[in-house]
Amino acid sequence: MSEDLKKIHSYLPKLVDQLQEGRVDRREFLRTSTLLGLSATAAYGFAGITQKGLVAPARAQSNATVRISMRVGTLENPATYSWVYDSNVARQVCDYLTRTDSENITHPILLENWEASDDLKTWTLNLKQGVKWSNGDEFVADHAIWNLKRWADPAVGSSVLGLIKGYLMNDEGTELWDPKAIEQVDDYTIRLNCRSAQLAVPEHLFHYPALILHPSENGVFGVGSIGTGAYSMTEYEVGRKVVLKRREGYWGKPAAIETIEFIDNGDDAATEVAALSSGQVHGLYEGSTQQYAALQKMEHVQIHQVGTAQTGVARMQPQHKPWGDARVRKAMRLALDTEKLLQVAHLGLGLPGEHHHVCEVHPEYADVGFMKQDIEGAKALLAEAGHPDGFDTEIFCKGDPEWEPIAVQAMAQMWQQIGVRVKISVLPSTQYWEIWNKPTAPFAFTTWTHRPLGVMALGLAYRTGVPWNESFYSNPEFDALLTKAEGILDVDERRKVMVELENVMLEDGPACIPLWRAWFTAMDKRLKGYEAHPTSYFFCENWSFEEA
Amino acid sequence: MTAFFAKRAGYLLLTMVVVSFAIFTIMEFTPGQVARKVLGPFATQLQVDMLTEEMGLNRPVVVRYLEWAGNVLQGDLGRSTLYKQPVANVLWDRLGNTAILAAIAFAIIVPASIILGVAAGMREASLLDRTISIGGIVTTSIPEFASGVFLVSIFVIWLGWLPGTSTLNTGGGWPLASQLVLPVAVMVLYDLGYVVRMVRASMVEVMTRPYIRTAILKGLSFRDVILKHALRNAMIAPFTVILLQINYLVTGVVVVEAVFAYPGFGRLILEAGLSQDVAVIEAATLVAVFITVMAQIIGDFGYMLLNPRIRFS
Repeated sequence: MSEDLKKIHSYLPKLVDQLQEGRVDRREFLRTSTLLGLSATAAYGFAGITQKGLVAPARAQSNATVRISMRVGTLENPATYSWVYDSNVARQVCDYLTRTDSENITHPILLENWEASDDLKTWTLNLKQGVKWSNGDEFVADHAIWNLKRWADPAVGSSVLGLIKGYLMNDEGTELWDPKAIEQVDDYTIRLNCRSAQLAVPEHLFHYPALILHPSENGVFGVGSIGTGAYSMTEYEVGRKVVLKRREGYWGKPAAIETIEFIDNGDDAATEVAALSSGQVHGLYEGSTQQYAALQKMEHVQIHQVGTAQTGVARMQPQHKPWGDARVRKAMRLALDTEKLLQVAHLGLGLPGEHHHVCEVHPEYADVGFMKQDIEGAKALLAEAGHPDGFDTEIFCKGDPEWEPIAVQAMAQMWQQIGVRVKISVLPSTQYWEIWNKPTAPFAFTTWTHRPLGVMALGLAYRTGVPWNESFYSNPEFDALLTKAEGILDVDERRKVMVELENVMLEDGPACIPLWRAWFTAMDKRLKGYEAHPTSYFFCENWSFEEA
Repeated sequence: MTAFFAKRAGYLLLTMVVVSFAIFTIMEFTPGQVARKVLGPFATQLQVDMLTEEMGLNRPVVVRYLEWAGNVLQGDLGRSTLYKQPVANVLWDRLGNTAILAAIAFAIIVPASIILGVAAGMREASLLDRTISIGGIVTTSIPEFASGVFLVSIFVIWLGWLPGTSTLNTGGGWPLASQLVLPVAVMVLYDLGYVVRMVRASMVEVMTRPYIRTAILKGLSFRDVILKHALRNAMIAPFTVILLQINYLVTGVVVVEAVFAYPGFGRLILEAGLSQDVAVIEAATLVAVFITVMAQIIGDFGYMLLNPRIRFS
């Protein structure tokens, strides 16, 4: 058995031992073993639990139409999607190479499986054979490589680049670090030759813009686009609606629901509640705290909730005064009572924030002690930094969703207790996203979505020079520790590095984190097969609808 | 009369030119780059610069305005950066939707305001007058978003009689007509009170005139006094006010359309504004100005026809 496991990856026998000795829990075993290429069936077998699977049990096809309230934005370029809800449309038409489920277990979708080298620098992606595009073409390595190279092209502007920059791109992030970084082995095999170890490659392939498009359409998505998914898009109007129809000839298990409609009801929370109440829609893309009480009272809907690492970060740019002083940054953290912030801003739904941006739901989370509010300690640090009377500053934030300005307002009141007088500038979302990663916003509050690994969030947000490093934080010690952590498979070992990383963030980091959000939505009870996903993804081919 | 219309048409054109240039200039100073909004927050600066150049947005505002104006004169309203299609494809559809709402609301507001206004004004300070006046003030004072939520709470969530949104999708079993009820109700409630009070004020004034006193003294029934002598004269002043409501009903219903997710002209302007979609904003502004000025011209024209003391000049 051990030899068989070794053939898949040399670390697997050790992982199985760790599971049996109770040193890793089942969830972490499942997550890591599947990442290393062990099939989900085998992994679940080792863990001694029934496989939950990605695909809902077979259900009879129906002519049902399910309508979901969700913003309908510009969908034409999936590689540059900025919002998960955009991908929720295209995801029904096109697939990813992999899929991470609601328990953070990553599964192959357009891949049959993958193999990682012992040093985690070489990843062999074996494509599933027999997958057909909606135009009848067979899905082959050329198609996947075309997409991979497109994401890596800075001229395209895909956020996937931020994820792969560290291991597939050159230092400047302008091109692949080696012409053979993405290598075609045969029609159904691709090899990624990375310049540094990376354990989250399969998870990166599930980043929301990483949809596999047919090369013949040159990256443009629209009505009638070619896809490998269970649905075809038949109608689309920005700001109004999208209609998806079940596709005949889908390579997987056919979808049960014939028509999915995404209806754009705008940003008003009350409008969505009204639409759900009157049965005009069967569910919401995402619930808001404004809607929570009303949703609880609706007998015909079920609230689906999932713990996530979604959060908001009040980040300070150290190149600006007074944020250049680490004592000031730490004082700002010490001023916050994140348990209260969770109650005030998010109805207590979630977990109190921890300022190192690694959440309890992350497998490598290390308990370095909860940073509690310490007003006197914060004042002392400010005095030491030359601000005995505090200072005036300005924070930028968005006006929606509503919990964000509330969190900022509550934090500002707490900062006032240490003499930091914060002027809050609430901007419309569109204006905020102009400045979120610009030096013109020295102090700002930005939301960050869930990532299955703590190192993923840290790598995207705080590594020197990456596009999403909105604070322009640069700490060689942090970068070195992060690179080290990203190359460690053993969670126990990685956690030891995480202790150091988290402490760097607490002592020196640029972030104040008020809370971890529990994500929730509401769906009609007749809608079956829906499962809340921490990244707000929809997989409509798993849904079915029971008519009354 | 020709001079009257020529002068008004000149004003209309001048207003359209001034407003459209003002919009261009204001958009120039609005924070954020159009290309950034098109490409999304994660686009690189290089991409933003390239698209800015490709769209010609790095040229002086006057050059871009003249080019746009030239295209408009040839019937080309430009291409929407938000909707990724010619503006005309979106604009007329949305305007048509709003026109339906406006027409229904107008058809209710005009007779209702005349009846209520006359009823209130013919017996000033009566219980009926006070009831109608206070009711009108209350409904007009409540913002549209508040009355919208209030009506939804009653008729959608509590009673379940009406649909909560008006997306013009028939899914959910709600016919299109039922989807128009609440938005129209909000528009009527908001606008009716104002027009009622204008009609009432005019009626009160007319009822104090000597010819009304004469009519009463010569023994005409009160009904005949109102219908034959007071009503027509009382309608002259509110006529213009009533016509100007078309402007609000078509171009001022942003809040109503947002509350009910109605795919109309107001929501189009809102979304375009948030996305800095200059082509849509400009086209919508031209339409709004045209409707406003035309309503004014028709109002003036009608006023002169109704009131012989005023002559075309």
